[in-house]
Amino acid sequence: MANEHEGRDDDGGIGRLLRERLPRHRAPAGLRGAVTESLQPAPSRRPLWAFWLAPACASLATALAMLLWLAPSLPRAPAIDSAELVERAVLAEHARNIFWGQSRADVVPAALPRAIEESGVGLNWVFTGDDDIRLIDAKPTYLEGRRGIELTYQDVAGHTMTYIIVPGGTVALPERGRVQIDRWRPVVKKENGFSLIMWRQQGLLCVMASDLVSDKDLDRFKQYFVKVRSSTEPYVVY
Amino acid sequence: MADDEFRQQALQHLDALHNLAVYLTRNGSEAEDLVQETYVRAMRFSHRFQPGTHLRAWLFQILRNTFLTFYRLREREAAISEDGVPESEAPMFHDAASRDSESAGAHMDLERALTRLPEEFKTPLLLAEIEGLALEDVARIMDCPVGTVKSRIFRAKERLRGYLTDYK
Repeated sequence: MANEHEGRDDDGGIGRLLRERLPRHRAPAGLRGAVTESLQPAPSRRPLWAFWLAPACASLATALAMLLWLAPSLPRAPAIDSAELVERAVLAEHARNIFWGQSRADVVPAALPRAIEESGVGLNWVFTGDDDIRLIDAKPTYLEGRRGIELTYQDVAGHTMTYIIVPGGTVALPERGRVQIDRWRPVVKKENGFSLIMWRQQGLLCVMASDLVSDKDLDRFKQYFVKVRSSTEPYVVY
Repeated sequence: MADDEFRQQALQHLDALHNLAVYLTRNGSEAEDLVQETYVRAMRFSHRFQPGTHLRAWLFQILRNTFLTFYRLREREAAISEDGVPESEAPMFHDAASRDSESAGAHMDLERALTRLPEEFKTPLLLAEIEGLALEDVARIMDCPVGTVKSRIFRAKERLRGYLTDYK
């Protein structure tokens, strides 16, 4: 190398000056360490998702287990069965009758055939009244997707009873609330200040609603039920 | 060549690479960045290195190409520093301990003179005179014929001689 340099030194000593006087900048220790580190083979690095995937899965599994564990004790929205839906609809209809219903006893003989024709519910016999109660209205109705017939009675004290007959379909009456009345065992309930008597007859669902709610009035309501039940025979027209 | 062996051999040239990087960039931190980038690239393309050839020259070639690619463009854009003083006139840093004021002055003059040389002259001069590379290797690094290298070194020395009249 020395010879090589000597061979080049035809420049008036510039080469020698550079070799002797020009400072050499050695690599700082920090740079040496950084370079050495960067030259190390990269360890098998876990992908970024691997850092959060496991905790996320664990959290999810824990949450799922907690949910399954707590699920039985969570409050449940009470399931509303179809009978209950019919009850509510009958009560709403009864309330309408009380507030806005009109006594049309004189037109019942004419209204009844039309109601039977339009409701799809026929009546072989129908209780039209006695000294205690009388039929004051008959009209077709539509209840929870079912066409039916609605009969309205009124007793001498002015209490109104709404008697609705609709196709029963799959509506099942509950065993709870069954009460023996004469030779029948209908469901008797008190709901929102009204009394209800429900039963099935000829595949039809029959509901009577009244504002007779006290024990004494309820007994009277049951007597009215016996009169109506024994003297009315509905059937499905089609 | 195995990676470990390649690493070991490459690290032996760290000081030389850093020295050239300092004279090219005239900035300590940029020189370090340049050297690190050089090694990263060298490792990435180590499979292209032909064993038996001159590793030192190969590393210098990578360093110069990296400098030309990234640093020279930036250098031109920032030809004037923030304080308005041309970068080429700014004093170079160096960590060499000054033996005396005369020596320190000589260092400063040499470095300043060197910074005034264009890269095409400065690099072959440093590689040949300071690093002691053969002209053939310098030609490979500079990607030009040996004759061109000789010419550039000669002209570089001529210019330096003009800058350093006190040393005649």
